[in-house]
Amino acid sequence: MHNELKTNDMQTLESNKTTIEESTNPISLNLPDFTTDSYKDAYSRINAIVIEGEQEAHDNYISIATLIPNELEELTKLARMEMKHKKGFTACGRNLGVEADMEFAKKFFSKLHGNFQVALEKGNLTTCLLIQAILIEAFAISAYNVYIRVADPFAKKITEGVVKDEYLHLNYGQEWLKENLSTCKEELMEANKVNLPLIKQMLDEVADDASVLAMDREELMEEFMIAYQDTLMEIGLDNREIARMAMAAIV
Amino acid sequence: MFGLIGHSTSFEDAKRKASLLGFDHIADGDLDVWCTAPPQLVENVEVKSATGISIEGSYIDSCFVPEMLSRFKTARRKVLNAMELAQKKGINITALGGFTSIIFENFNLLQHKQIRNTSLEWERFTTGNTHTAWVICKQLEINAPRIGIDLKKATVAVIGATGDIGSAVCRWLINKTGISELLMVARQQEPLALLQKELDGGTITSLDEALPQADIVVWVASMPKTIEIDTDNLKKPCLMIDGGYPKNLDEKFQGENIHVLKGGIVEFFNDIGWNMMELAEMQNPQREMFACFAEAMILEFEKCHTNFSWGRNNISLEKMEFIGEASLKHGFSAIGLDKLPKALTV
Repeated sequence: MHNELKTNDMQTLESNKTTIEESTNPISLNLPDFTTDSYKDAYSRINAIVIEGEQEAHDNYISIATLIPNELEELTKLARMEMKHKKGFTACGRNLGVEADMEFAKKFFSKLHGNFQVALEKGNLTTCLLIQAILIEAFAISAYNVYIRVADPFAKKITEGVVKDEYLHLNYGQEWLKENLSTCKEELMEANKVNLPLIKQMLDEVADDASVLAMDREELMEEFMIAYQDTLMEIGLDNREIARMAMAAIV
Repeated sequence: MFGLIGHSTSFEDAKRKASLLGFDHIADGDLDVWCTAPPQLVENVEVKSATGISIEGSYIDSCFVPEMLSRFKTARRKVLNAMELAQKKGINITALGGFTSIIFENFNLLQHKQIRNTSLEWERFTTGNTHTAWVICKQLEINAPRIGIDLKKATVAVIGATGDIGSAVCRWLINKTGISELLMVARQQEPLALLQKELDGGTITSLDEALPQADIVVWVASMPKTIEIDTDNLKKPCLMIDGGYPKNLDEKFQGENIHVLKGGIVEFFNDIGWNMMELAEMQNPQREMFACFAEAMILEFEKCHTNFSWGRNNISLEKMEFIGEASLKHGFSAIGLDKLPKALTV
């Protein structure tokens, strides 16, 4: 059986050789045609999601500040940064002559938005932080990482700047969860069980449009899982706990 | 710190291991879930050399499985993500095990230096091929006489002679062993002619012609898909060293006086106390491992933090001697044949 495995696999490696060389060459990397109607149509929704995502992030950080007034200054700074990102992405749409479909984007975020508002009203800080500082942040950074590889030159530059910001700024939510892990773990797990499946649904919903932009669903999901796992590890959860939490994404 | 990047031998096997380790979300997932799974640092281990030096290391499973080879983008991501994780963990020298280095080489991943916010530092990685080549040569030198083959009269065929490991083995055999004849077999003729020129020796031939003439065959390439081997045409005794990955020659070559040896596997002098080699299906998992993994350990023992084995055709005799000496010094030895002919075992 192993023999078969080896010979077949190596055949595949060999026969793929030309395709591989072509598509791994950064210069001839298959970038989509940014000027077609189908690209612009898909972009109107993806761009809107990104703009709305940054707006949600801004609003969420301002709201979270009402629950931790001590951190008002830092969270306001963070919120301001998200607004700057929103402006950048708005410019990306304008540059391609695309009008962002904001109505679609609002609906896209509505369930997550609703869950955040409920948690905020109840004063459930842990749930708020899970939704914003873990899920939305990981969703955004993973999408940006994939997008950078296939974006038009203008958007690529903007997105690279955004990603740099995201890696540089201290994730306050993450820090808070780390410090309070012993008391917030249970709520974190519960909130994750409810909200992680929403992220998966959102990814599925946007997969067709993303593929028009040459963003692969599999790659998006993997990037998300990497960012999500990294954050949970930073917070101080162990491999098995993370595995248990990630389980919610596949059921 | 040293690192080892490995993967399971099949998808089914991977699921079983994930379940054992408590990674339920991927254990229960289908292949698509595995394609989106991040690399996992599954084990930390401390290893003490025969000289008394202690080092620490980590085993990273890239979550790659051979079933992903046909999806080259997936395979590429698995390798690069695992390398990024190793670097982020601050590991000085990491060996690329199993298909990892093959994918790196064949998919030309050198041009993918930037992974998210990490710029991969190649000097932190090694293919481990220098040690593998040295171990295969030692296995040949030690085991051939044990089954009655006189090296001075022996014809040795190297199948896959132009590969990184294959060319190093040829270089060593010509310069260091005094074998009677070297037969070199490879798919591509041009590099083969170049190798012959460099070695100033060796005969270029085909697989069909080489096999009946060879007392010893070193396999460091995959076998052609359609190959049918008539074991009656092989010399007896004959030593077959399986230096490819995965190890599966013994299924093809069974017969009286045909001795198949797992090539490029070493044994450590002490139990290591890890779980990972059990998962890699080693016979003595507390001590045995791929020579490429051992290379990362040796480099860490020697505090030689550099991409010792890198690229193709860079393995010199000096490098093989260096890694070989260090290998013995720290307590590694090449594994030998388990079953010897009765007359010779006394």
